Amino acid sequence: MAYRVLIVDDSPAMRTVVRRVIELSGFDLSDCFEAGNGREALNLLEHEWVDVILTDINMPEVDGEEFLRRLASNDLLRSVPTIVVSTDSTENRISRLLSLGARGYVTKPFRPETLREQLETTLGVPNE
Amino acid sequence: MSDEPLADALRTSVGEVLENMFFIDSLDEVAPAGPECSMRAWLPFEGSPSGILTLEVDGAAARRIAADFLAAEESEVTDRQVGDVICELANMICGSLLSKVESTTSFRLLAPRILPPGAAGAPEDPGGGESSTVSLSSGMLNVTIRMESPACPKAPEFVY
Repeated sequence: MAYRVLIVDDSPAMRTVVRRVIELSGFDLSDCFEAGNGREALNLLEHEWVDVILTDINMPEVDGEEFLRRLASNDLLRSVPTIVVSTDSTENRISRLLSLGARGYVTKPFRPETLREQLETTLGVPNE
Repeated sequence: MSDEPLADALRTSVGEVLENMFFIDSLDEVAPAGPECSMRAWLPFEGSPSGILTLEVDGAAARRIAADFLAAEESEVTDRQVGDVICELANMICGSLLSKVESTTSFRLLAPRILPPGAAGAPEDPGGGESSTVSLSSGMLNVTIRMESPACPKAPEFVY
C-alpha cells in the first residue's frame, strides 16, 4: 500500500529534505503534500486526504501545538495520525505534544531509517 | 570562563547535525580565530535558559552545505535557499544542544535571521559564550552560544 503524506514546516529547505529522506528511505510513498504552517495545512486538508502528517513545532500563524489542537477538535481529521519532527527533544515538550494527540516524535537531526521506522510504526505497516 | 559540559555538548551537537542531516563528516575542530565569514545566522531562544546562538560560515562553505542539503548543484542554489538552509542548520544545532543540556526544562526557538557581517541593524555581539569552530572542505564554520543563565547538564554522558 502506498501512502499520502503531508509535511508541515515553515522552512522550504526542510520540507524538501524531509520529502527526499522519505523517498530515499524506501517508504512506500504515493503522494507528498507540503504546507508552510498549521493554517496552510488545515486549508489543504479541506480538499486532500492524507494518511499521515509530519509537522514541525515552531511555525508562524498556526504553530505545531495549535495545529494539533485544531486537528483534535475536527471530527474528520482527528483520526489522521500526526508525527512531530522537531529539534526540541525536551521531556516537557514531547510529553505535551503527545498529550495533544501526536502519535510519534522524531528529533532533528534524524537518520532516514529513523523517520521510516516512525512512519511505519505509526501507520501500522507490517514488517516485511 | 569556560563551561566544559556545555562546550562538549556544543561540539557533539555540531557534529551530529552536520553528519546526520548534512552528510558532512570527518570534522576537524580548529582554533576559533581566523575565518573570514561572509554569512551569519542569529538565533535567539527564550525560556529556561534564554540566550542567543550565532552561526558563522564562509560563503563558499554555505553554498556547498546548501547544495548538499538540497541535493542540488551549487550553481542551481539561490541565495535565498542558501540562507534558508543555514538558518535551518542553526535551528537544528540550537535545538539539539538545548535538549542535551536542559532536557527537563522548556525553551522556544525564535525565528533565525541571516545577517551579513557589519550589516546595519545587526545585533551587537556581546562576546563570551562557548564556541565550536570546524573546518569543512569548503571553508570554516563557527557556532557560538551565549546563555543568560548557566546550563545544568544532564550528564554524565556529556562529562568527559
